[in-house]
Amino acid sequence: MTRSRSPKKRKSGRKPAAGRTLLRLLLRTGLLAVFLLAGWMVYLDAQVTSRFEGRRFEVPSRVYARPLELYEGASVSASALARELELAGYRQGDGRRAGTYRRSGREFVITTRGFEFPDGHEARRRLRLTLGDGQVRSMSVLEGQRSSIVRLEPAHIGGIYPEHREDRVLVQLEDVPRELLATLLVVEDRDFYDHFGVAPTAIARAMVANLKAGGIVQGGSTLTQQLVKNFFLTREQTLVRKANEALMSILLELHYDKNDILETYLNEVYLGQAGNRSIHGFGLASQFYFGESLNDLAAHQIALLVAMVKGPSYYNPRRNPGRATERRNLVIGQMQQAGLLSQAEASAARGSGLGVTPRPSFSENRYPAFIDLVRRHLARDYREEDLQSEGLRIFTTLNPTQQEVAEKTVREQLPRITGNDSLEAALVVTTKDSGEVLALVGGKDPQFAGFNRALDARRPIGSLIKPFVYLTALQQPDRYTLVTPVQDRAFALEFDDGRRWQPSNYDGKQRGEVPLHRALSHSYNLPVVRVGLDVGIPRVQETLRAFGAQGAIPDFPSMLLGTPALTPVEVAQVYQGLATGGFNTPLRTIRDVTSSDNERLSRYNLEVRQVADAAAVHLVQYAMQETMQEGTGRSAYNWLPDSLSLAGKTGTTDDGRDAWFAGFSDNLLAVAWVGRDDNGPTALTGATGALPVWASMMSAVPQYGFSPVVPDGVNYHWVDSERAALTNEYCDNARLVPFIAGSEPEQRVECEGNIGGQIRSWFEGLFQ
Amino acid sequence: MMNRQIAFRAGALAFLLVLGGCATGPGGDGIYAPMGGDDRTRAPEPPRTDAGKDEAEEKVWRKSEQPQQDEDPREDERRSPSYSETGSQLPAAALSLVREGDRRLQQGNTAGAIASLERAQRIAPRSAEVYFKLAEAYVRSDNLGTAEQFTLKGLSLAGNNESMQRSGWRLLADIRRARGNVAGADQAEARARAL
Repeated sequence: MTRSRSPKKRKSGRKPAAGRTLLRLLLRTGLLAVFLLAGWMVYLDAQVTSRFEGRRFEVPSRVYARPLELYEGASVSASALARELELAGYRQGDGRRAGTYRRSGREFVITTRGFEFPDGHEARRRLRLTLGDGQVRSMSVLEGQRSSIVRLEPAHIGGIYPEHREDRVLVQLEDVPRELLATLLVVEDRDFYDHFGVAPTAIARAMVANLKAGGIVQGGSTLTQQLVKNFFLTREQTLVRKANEALMSILLELHYDKNDILETYLNEVYLGQAGNRSIHGFGLASQFYFGESLNDLAAHQIALLVAMVKGPSYYNPRRNPGRATERRNLVIGQMQQAGLLSQAEASAARGSGLGVTPRPSFSENRYPAFIDLVRRHLARDYREEDLQSEGLRIFTTLNPTQQEVAEKTVREQLPRITGNDSLEAALVVTTKDSGEVLALVGGKDPQFAGFNRALDARRPIGSLIKPFVYLTALQQPDRYTLVTPVQDRAFALEFDDGRRWQPSNYDGKQRGEVPLHRALSHSYNLPVVRVGLDVGIPRVQETLRAFGAQGAIPDFPSMLLGTPALTPVEVAQVYQGLATGGFNTPLRTIRDVTSSDNERLSRYNLEVRQVADAAAVHLVQYAMQETMQEGTGRSAYNWLPDSLSLAGKTGTTDDGRDAWFAGFSDNLLAVAWVGRDDNGPTALTGATGALPVWASMMSAVPQYGFSPVVPDGVNYHWVDSERAALTNEYCDNARLVPFIAGSEPEQRVECEGNIGGQIRSWFEGLFQ
Repeated sequence: MMNRQIAFRAGALAFLLVLGGCATGPGGDGIYAPMGGDDRTRAPEPPRTDAGKDEAEEKVWRKSEQPQQDEDPREDERRSPSYSETGSQLPAAALSLVREGDRRLQQGNTAGAIASLERAQRIAPRSAEVYFKLAEAYVRSDNLGTAEQFTLKGLSLAGNNESMQRSGWRLLADIRRARGNVAGADQAEARARAL
């Protein structure tokens, strides 16, 4: 190649002529310059597109709450419905425009927006709902496709963001309030939709203004130029830099749609500094300065944000409120001129304070503990970087109303528990039969995205283990029934190495023979150890594992009093099987994951697996109901109506280091834990520490009483449980107790001479 | 049956059972306990249970009386653990979802059908039918292990509803046969016949 070129060079060198040579030289230099420029442009183009793409396509995943299902009989109170609507982005209005609702007392008229769910499109509809007693009393579709069940759009509860900018809140153009966009364009770039990246007229205008003022008062940069400027870290202002920015702006405009540029600008614009972390984008700035979502901002707040674009540090509203106010009011004036605000609105806005929160708030995720669990579940199937950048849609099981009740309960109940202020708490709420996690509280400050006790506080479960010990025993109906007398007497175990272990009851008493159901409902320690040792620790371990307990389960006899350590979520998992009659239902936080264009990527289906004999579990459920009515859980009825039948179990560990309560109604299962992070002693028991949290939460949500369906092979009989014998229904100490067929007592005792019983049986006859 | 007899004799007392958590009333779905609700009227006698389906008319009457009981709670020595003889009826909303599931199943959209049926399950988690339907959907998607588990779950909620039990046992027999568990299938078949 070099050879073929050299002759040409020689050829051209042979015709020397002074004028032409100069011309040629000029031409060549010109061409070279064009080539260089073209090369430079290509370089700049590559630079700017890669920067832009990098920003634009790093779309975090969106996390949604479960959609509220509306139908006649659905459990929802009027206030909860209003809250759900608000969370799903509805506004009070005429109820005719999509996304608005009108409420008069217990009647709602709602126009839904329609939504693409992973399993199909939910049409837009206008609905009329009448609520009463915490239920939907009637529902009619006024407009749109008729249906007896309608889903609202799910509330957007958070996102999964890249690690290095955890507190960036990306907004999408369609989610940005119109007022903000209009104000931004009015103040920063009036011709945005008309120019090609740079606006010579604007530059001229700015130059005139600056000359007149004798200093820089106005910038001529377009939004595109500002955006390009923001892509680079240094802020030096040189002519070359300016020229580069202008070129890049033009290139950017050639490549991309105006709206893409605007959206990227909204997320890129520098709006403040928090320590070494810079605040980029209006979404985060809104959180940072006002602690509110962009959509909830008032006109004067929008004005302030736009005002700060000019100089976030100079106009910092926290540090320089005077300057900030002045500039904000200038923007309000421009908004008024542009017709965005009426005179009255503008003067009201000018009269408002800055409305800035004293301390910056970072969190966009309203429910950090729950999102934490969602992330961990997702981590099994998805790469973190895909979650951070692929714009996936994640449909979770979170019930926002339930979550807020749970948070409020923990916040309010914890200080009321006597003890010390270093108490912490965790609360897990699931649906009983589908295993969906509805709410999760990871500590006394639910907004704090730190140590998540619901998932990470692994603590001995104490007496929460007892139902599993008795379940193991009751699975041998020939040996154990609910009325089998068990020994509540002290004893000592001597190990091979000479150590002695001497369990005792919480109250230190011994009661002799007690029926098994009472030993469980009153949580006596001595009988459970005896029964557990009788059936064998390995069997108890097996039961626990079958119900979903993970990790090591110790095989010392002390395990029968609850030395195995579980997290609150794991406790919820193992209790799920007890609540559903022996069907293990894996807990779920996610229903579906779709791509941004609604292609289903994963579905997490309901699963059930029978892990224990339904009949034996039914017997345990009986004793767990008795716990609530007569046993260690009865103080729950200080919070709850007597009509609500519940089943549950208290748990306390040595020196009150852990207070547990796990229990369920017909539709909800909840686990509460109260203790100290340093594992220090407290004066609490399950009943005084965790139960108040549990019961007060349960009292605040509508639900059905627990009433398990009697499984095959279980019969109820009237018995005198003290004497382990069948008896007459009207005897004073008669109890209707379930037995696995064939295991019922054969002996019968009567209560003749019991006048009370006889009189009552008379009345029974009369009232029939 | 003993329970039925008891319930008839229980007469006026039985209304407390309706309140106490019977989930079989004609209204369908169990006893709704509103927040801060009324005190349950307690039995002057130890445990009572709900009496199952035969008490339907009385339950209607009692439900309508429920609000008045607020003012007149009877004192009593203790509540009693509650149970029901049958699972729940399908409310209209759940039924429409089951039908949607059926439609999707006809169209060969098993995943969609399961999604609809799971929605129905969330509304009516105590209806044996919903679980049987889920089992059917899993049979169609050739996931017999899961289908068997859902059938068992449905059976655990069939209570004393014989036709429901019969359907469940037959379904179970078919699934087990398809899985090659002949003994299990025969056993389930025998249970269905014995009803």
